[in-house]
Amino acid sequence: MTTTSTPTTTAVALRGVSRGYGRGATAVRAVDDVDVEFRRGTWTAVMGPSGSGKSTLLHLAAGLERADSGRVLLGDTDITAASDNELTALRRTRIGFVFQSFNLIGSLSAEQNVALPLRLARRRPGRAQVRQALDDVGLGDRARHRPRELSGGQQQRVAIARAMVTAPEVLFADEPTGALDSTAARTVLDLLRAMADRGQSIVMVTHDPAAAARADGVLFLRDGRLVDHLAGASAREVADRLVALER
Amino acid sequence: MLRMSISGLAERWQLFVGATLSVCLGVALVQSSLLLLISAATLDPPAGLSPAERLRFSDSAEASVALLGVTLGFSAFLAVFIISSTFAFTVAQRRRDLALLRLVGGGRRHVRRLLMGEALLLGLIGTVTGVPAGLAVMALQTRLLVGFGFVPGGFTGQWRDWILGASAGVGLGLALAGVLVAARRAARVRPLDALRDPDAGRVMTAGRWLTGLFFAAGAVALIILAPVGGPAGGQALTMNVSLCAAVALSLLAPVLVPGVARLIPAAGVTGMLARANLRDEVRRSAATAAPLIVLIGVVFGQVGASASFAAAGVAEQRRGTAADLVVETTGPGFPAVAGVASFSSETETPLRITTGRGDTADTLIQSALVVEPAAFARAHPGSGYLQALRGNAVAGGPGREGFSRGDTVTAHFAGTDHSLPVVAEVPTTIGGGAALLVPAGLLPADQLAGAPTRTFVTLAPGADPARVTAELSTVGTVTGVDDWLRADAEARTSTSDDIMLIVLGLGGLYALIGVVNAVVIAAAARGREFAAARATGLTRLQVLRAALLESSAVTMIGVFLGALAAAGTYVAVLATTSAVTGTATLDLPWTLMAVLAVVAFVVTGLTSLLTSWSATRVAPVSLLGAWE
Ligand SMILES: Nc1ncnc2c1ncn2[C@@H]1O[C@H](COP(=O)(O)OP(=O)(O)OP(=O)(O)O)[C@@H](O)[C@H]1O
Ligand SMILES: [Mg+2]
Repeated sequence: MTTTSTPTTTAVALRGVSRGYGRGATAVRAVDDVDVEFRRGTWTAVMGPSGSGKSTLLHLAAGLERADSGRVLLGDTDITAASDNELTALRRTRIGFVFQSFNLIGSLSAEQNVALPLRLARRRPGRAQVRQALDDVGLGDRARHRPRELSGGQQQRVAIARAMVTAPEVLFADEPTGALDSTAARTVLDLLRAMADRGQSIVMVTHDPAAAARADGVLFLRDGRLVDHLAGASAREVADRLVALER
Repeated sequence: MLRMSISGLAERWQLFVGATLSVCLGVALVQSSLLLLISAATLDPPAGLSPAERLRFSDSAEASVALLGVTLGFSAFLAVFIISSTFAFTVAQRRRDLALLRLVGGGRRHVRRLLMGEALLLGLIGTVTGVPAGLAVMALQTRLLVGFGFVPGGFTGQWRDWILGASAGVGLGLALAGVLVAARRAARVRPLDALRDPDAGRVMTAGRWLTGLFFAAGAVALIILAPVGGPAGGQALTMNVSLCAAVALSLLAPVLVPGVARLIPAAGVTGMLARANLRDEVRRSAATAAPLIVLIGVVFGQVGASASFAAAGVAEQRRGTAADLVVETTGPGFPAVAGVASFSSETETPLRITTGRGDTADTLIQSALVVEPAAFARAHPGSGYLQALRGNAVAGGPGREGFSRGDTVTAHFAGTDHSLPVVAEVPTTIGGGAALLVPAGLLPADQLAGAPTRTFVTLAPGADPARVTAELSTVGTVTGVDDWLRADAEARTSTSDDIMLIVLGLGGLYALIGVVNAVVIAAAARGREFAAARATGLTRLQVLRAALLESSAVTMIGVFLGALAAAGTYVAVLATTSAVTGTATLDLPWTLMAVLAVVAFVVTGLTSLLTSWSATRVAPVSLLGAWE
């Protein structure tokens, strides 16, 4: 893990990154020589047909998956060859995750789930800090509830609170609204929008043009390659571009 | 972290109840065997015994110490195996939980600490409950020992304060040791595994291969050594073959599971599902089969070996006896009776004997048989030349150990040590017997007074058996030789059964509980999987049927591999009996083995039905929605 001295406005950058799976006849190039920069303080949506490598790109950017070639930079930090311990520390402090399945620990209350990253980082979770994170997602009154006692949308908001409690530099979200109905999805997107407006960097994979339209920019992937991008587009324009891609 | 441990415990309670139970029962069994062993070893003869009686008392105490030593060995083996495999399994079943911990920023150290913390907690609970449970087990074992006459009537197991330390060492030590290796592997879980169906990872690691092959080589070595180990040593080595082989096979089971899975008929959706599950979850299948492999391997191996050696002993006794009547009396001396052509009177007495010298000197109470050499050779064909037996010259008996013709042994009697040259020897036998044959007149009369004497009587041609029998009945109990041999065979078999019950009874029950545990643990983490199957359109009945089919297949694997481990012992039995008695003997208690196999199928089948029934009780949607 090396740190370059030049200050940067880039939250995450991928430089010539490739990642394949399998070998021989079953080999796939999930991400193929991708160069991309996610700017600090912006919300970027990643779209593309199923199997185009969106999740893989996100995992690579977040250090959950290792690149076969190329370099991955988180801010000034090159995480391409970071050790497991270094990546763990990153997850605790500088990166937050939200996934389609909410991935809360079923035996812990909402409050305890949110406090978990702080405890792992050996920071004494201030009660107020945890409450604030839950209040921010509108669930201050559900702190004592177990995940199974919450609706899908509420569970996803707990997951967002858990991701945000460490004030990460970048929030990675893979289809965060994928399992939610449109009302619950809108609540979650409003939340992300508000966070982005306050300067939070967000990288979000989505299938939903309406969700992508709430972001500041949209990247399009096909067969593991970056093929297009839009800025400030409407849901309509995003949908048209997607349809064109899938043809 | 501890809070998280505890709430994790509440959620996955089946895993933790199973793990705690394995520690509790393991601690109880080892503690009880250890206390009984110490109590038997320090047993003082009651006051007021004559020297000969004291000697007999010490002799039977030594035998019970040996028996309890074997019992302790088995208990310890089972405790090590069951506790460590149960703990390792609970860890393997929680990959997904652990990956999630990693995803939100948990380091490898956290995973390890969490697992070790849990092991410590469960080990502690297991130990604290295991110590009182051990007292109950001890009461039971004592009743068995007294009931079968292996220890004197008033015998009780004595509590020692230090046993608390030993039991804590067993409980905590084994729990931690079991988790240690598993935790290291679990700590390497990738955070991404929380998002997909976790890849079970490579099951057959280099270490697992190496350990498995090591134990397999051990089993082979024991098979080779058993026939050259002499009667006693050979039997001991033989008994250990199935232990080694069972451990080896349970380690190598993951390689063999897919092959057995192919045997399940893939007809119908349940067959297909069960077959796919077996193959996909090799680790789970192997871990469920492991305690069964050990249970079947050890029990089949031990009871088969023990029955075979008893049968070989009976055959040997038959071949080595040429007489018409057997008369049982006490003390030396036999009256002259008309119609008796010849008789061999043999008085048995314990004797403190030292064999070897210097560093290798070994003093044990062994049994000596006072004989008339020529008569003995006549009544026991194949004994060889014993005429040199006179004065203080003695012969090596059929149950001798550690000396042979040409050596000198030291025997303690009449208040001093006597050097006795061993001038002859009879063939050693699998059924054992006296270590020394001594000529009449060597031992003082007061030592032989009251000692059991057996006289083998050959009738003169034309003599009336009824009349001779009537006349001999005035001195002792007279039995026709066929009846006597039959009674002797029954006694041998029943003793060997009693020994098996003491050595294996509770241990086998413990291993069976280990099997149930493994089935429950395997099903505990499957609620989500079952829900997915039902959401796909399988009825609850179909899910239960697939689970039952799968558990039957795993049981089949366990019974098959266990029987394979036992077969190793059988090979050693054949080689040993052939080397010692000249006739390869294998006599298997088929009924008992069949009953055990059926019990295994019934128990695992019922357990898996019950667990999957309760796992499918809730509506599938409630499990699919939330993180379980
Ligand atoms: N662990 C893996 N092993 C093998 N192949 C993989 C693995 N993960 C992804 N792939 C392959 O890589 C390619 C890209 O997968 P990825 O999950 O990134 O797609 P995606 O764009 O997120 O698709 P979706 O929209 O359906 O989620 C696919 O062809 C997939 O089969
Ligand atoms: Mg995806």
